[in-house]
Amino acid sequence: MKQRILLGVLGIWTACFHVPSIAHACSVCLTGANDPTADAFNWSVLFLMATPYTVVGSIAGWLFYTHRRSAAKQEKNETAEGLVHLTWNPKESGR
Amino acid sequence: MAKSSTARRLDEPLVGVEQKQPAFGGGEPPAPPVRPNTPVGSNAALAVAMFLGAEAMFFAGLIGAYIVFRVAAPIWPPPFQPRLPIGVTGVNTLILLASAVTMRWSLRAVRANDRKQLIRLLATTAALGGIFLAIQGFEWIRLIRFGLTVSSSVYGGLFYTLIGFHGLHVLGALIWLLTVFVLTQQGRFSKERHVGLQTCCMYWTFVVGLWPVLYGLIYLY
Repeated sequence: MKQRILLGVLGIWTACFHVPSIAHACSVCLTGANDPTADAFNWSVLFLMATPYTVVGSIAGWLFYTHRRSAAKQEKNETAEGLVHLTWNPKESGR
Repeated sequence: MAKSSTARRLDEPLVGVEQKQPAFGGGEPPAPPVRPNTPVGSNAALAVAMFLGAEAMFFAGLIGAYIVFRVAAPIWPPPFQPRLPIGVTGVNTLILLASAVTMRWSLRAVRANDRKQLIRLLATTAALGGIFLAIQGFEWIRLIRFGLTVSSSVYGGLFYTLIGFHGLHVLGALIWLLTVFVLTQQGRFSKERHVGLQTCCMYWTFVVGLWPVLYGLIYLY
């Protein structure tokens, strides 16, 4: 039974490869190589594919920049407090 | 019986509290400075950033549709359709870009606590945005008179959809900006608290930044 199912699936798969006009997997695949419609779809797909990466990358970059700026500002504010910690000298403490 | 938390451990040496304080040449090493877990930015700014991401995707969809029709068309613009006003819109682009500069300066002014300069810059930004919309509206009326309408062709449909949605966004940004302007006059923003202005600036920058892309794609390409 399993072998029959497997053979059936393989048969359909092979048929799809040999008779692509029946499969109609992609609306653009049937056009020629230099067809302007195929070019148009390709450029559009490329653009739409790149946009989410650009958007998410921009937001992540903005968050990273804000974080760095905030950390730098915080460190600047802590310089006065840092002087207190410089007073402890491990060599002189004998440890 | 449970051990008291204040009880001294047997192996702990007898050290006075005053000796634990940081001092020259002795004492316990000081504890590292504790940094408060403060947020790096406001939640409102993050929310607006996410919203702008969604807006960018919306315009990406429209631009994707435009690319399909534009690249597939053998002749563009289609025959018997009016040409778009490149020169006037180019000047309009410069006006909108100038408004982004004044908007950024207004953010600088609020951080410097310069309220007079802030009000002046916000008014300039609003005026530049208003001029942009007025010129766009004037050009639209001319194009409609020349026969370019939403239903005249795919060219007209795409033009009015893309440029129209951008115009609506500029109008929305202008309303937001005028609200911020009124709040500024009421003294609601300060050096420490100006999230409303910051988010408005983010939205304005997005709307302005989008325009050169649309201008290059629809008017020049």
